[in-house]
Amino acid sequence: MARPAVILVGADKGGVGKTTVARTLIDYFGAHQTPTRAFDTESPRGTLKRFHPELTEVVDVTSVSDQMKIFDTLGSADAKVTVIDVRAGLLSSTLQALTEIGFLESAKKGQITFAVFHILGPSIASLEEIAETARVVGDANYFLVKNFVNNTTFFEWDPATYNSYFKKIKGAEEITIPKLNEMAYEQVEVASVPFVSFVGNKGAKGEAANYSFVLRGYVRHWLGNVWGEYDKVKLVDLVSPKMESNVRQVAG
Amino acid sequence: MSFRNSVVIVASPRPRVGKTLLARLLTDFQRHENRTVAAFDVNSGERGLIQFLPEQTVAATIRDVNGQMALFDRLVAGDDTTKIVDLGHDSYESFVGLAHQIDFVEEARRRSIAVALLFMVTPDQTSVAAYRSLRERFAQALLVPVHNEILGSSQHRDKYPVAGGGAVSMRMPVLAPGLRKYIDTPPFSFAGPDMSNAVGIPLDAHIELQRWLRRIYLEFREIDLRLLLADLQTSMRSSGL
Repeated sequence: MARPAVILVGADKGGVGKTTVARTLIDYFGAHQTPTRAFDTESPRGTLKRFHPELTEVVDVTSVSDQMKIFDTLGSADAKVTVIDVRAGLLSSTLQALTEIGFLESAKKGQITFAVFHILGPSIASLEEIAETARVVGDANYFLVKNFVNNTTFFEWDPATYNSYFKKIKGAEEITIPKLNEMAYEQVEVASVPFVSFVGNKGAKGEAANYSFVLRGYVRHWLGNVWGEYDKVKLVDLVSPKMESNVRQVAG
Repeated sequence: MSFRNSVVIVASPRPRVGKTLLARLLTDFQRHENRTVAAFDVNSGERGLIQFLPEQTVAATIRDVNGQMALFDRLVAGDDTTKIVDLGHDSYESFVGLAHQIDFVEEARRRSIAVALLFMVTPDQTSVAAYRSLRERFAQALLVPVHNEILGSSQHRDKYPVAGGGAVSMRMPVLAPGLRKYIDTPPFSFAGPDMSNAVGIPLDAHIELQRWLRRIYLEFREIDLRLLLADLQTSMRSSGL
């Protein structure tokens, strides 16, 4: 049986676009026909669930019963990939909990594929998060995500300072999420549908919608670039080494 | 697909090469053929098309998203209307870049709307490079190099190879000296009573204008034919014939 994969999307700061990145990941795996489920830790009400209601369950990641719901089902769930959108401020503590339950040890032994998408925020505190996270994350596949989707200007960081933190994590890779036109982003929010549904002019239940062609074009172009970043780090190979990659057609 | 649902874009990165005159002629040709037509004046400066065709033309801009939506969402609407775009040189780069980014030609094809790009030929390197770029970016569109003879007799054919399903170039014959004043003073319409009744035009000038117009309309019919041919080829390919 294929090895299950867990992708943790988190940051210790709020408002840096964690859920947006999680949404692009779910769309990406969907486009690759990789069965995926998601957990939204913004209990009791999750934003991720609003966009992907059928794939997403809202959980309290600090509660043992919900931890069981996520991790005890990795081997038995139909979904091959589990995406966990970790609520702001809970990344470090979640990683700590994963250490305590032996999850990270399983990942180290190769029983589970584990990846962390660490979404960086605009302040120097985000850099310090990297150092803190690095201590616990161990051998996980670690991706530092610079999220420009809302035009955050945090890349005015001194490159030397950034690199000194970046190098603290062995094998860490960088992903850049480009900016999306504000109106296009807002319209997807209003529509409350996955990005691929918006691009395909579909409503929440797959019915025909009437979104602006221009805005759909912006989203299609942006999503293509985001997926290009995921292709660059060979994300599909990571979670499913033999899977064929033909993502662009779905985005189109 | 048919010319009831087509978008014809008159373009060049250079100013004063005859784009607006060609857009006027195209718009009036559609009216002459009793087709529903809508024209879009995408110029940030002088809006010549609106002056001549105020009822058929809307001012369009692509400087902001609202303007982009107003223009492109209308262009891909399947409303049995032929759309003519007079693309000013100052909006050329941003229009082409945006159209490529949002996959305009592909979306139009999905909706059975034919797209033709009529490119005004000039010998400068900027235009040659722009044409080459259009061929690469919009391989699915009918790209027609337009040789405006008033710009000189050299045709630069080697620099502007024809492209697209129907592969055709167009010639805009020179209008006899002295006749420009009749057509360059608004209000004037090639499809209106000015031409049909020769109002305010001496008879000999009117005859010469008619002759010139017939030659141009002949060129337009050739483009129509190529659009239909391209459409037919696409249909046959998609049905596996």
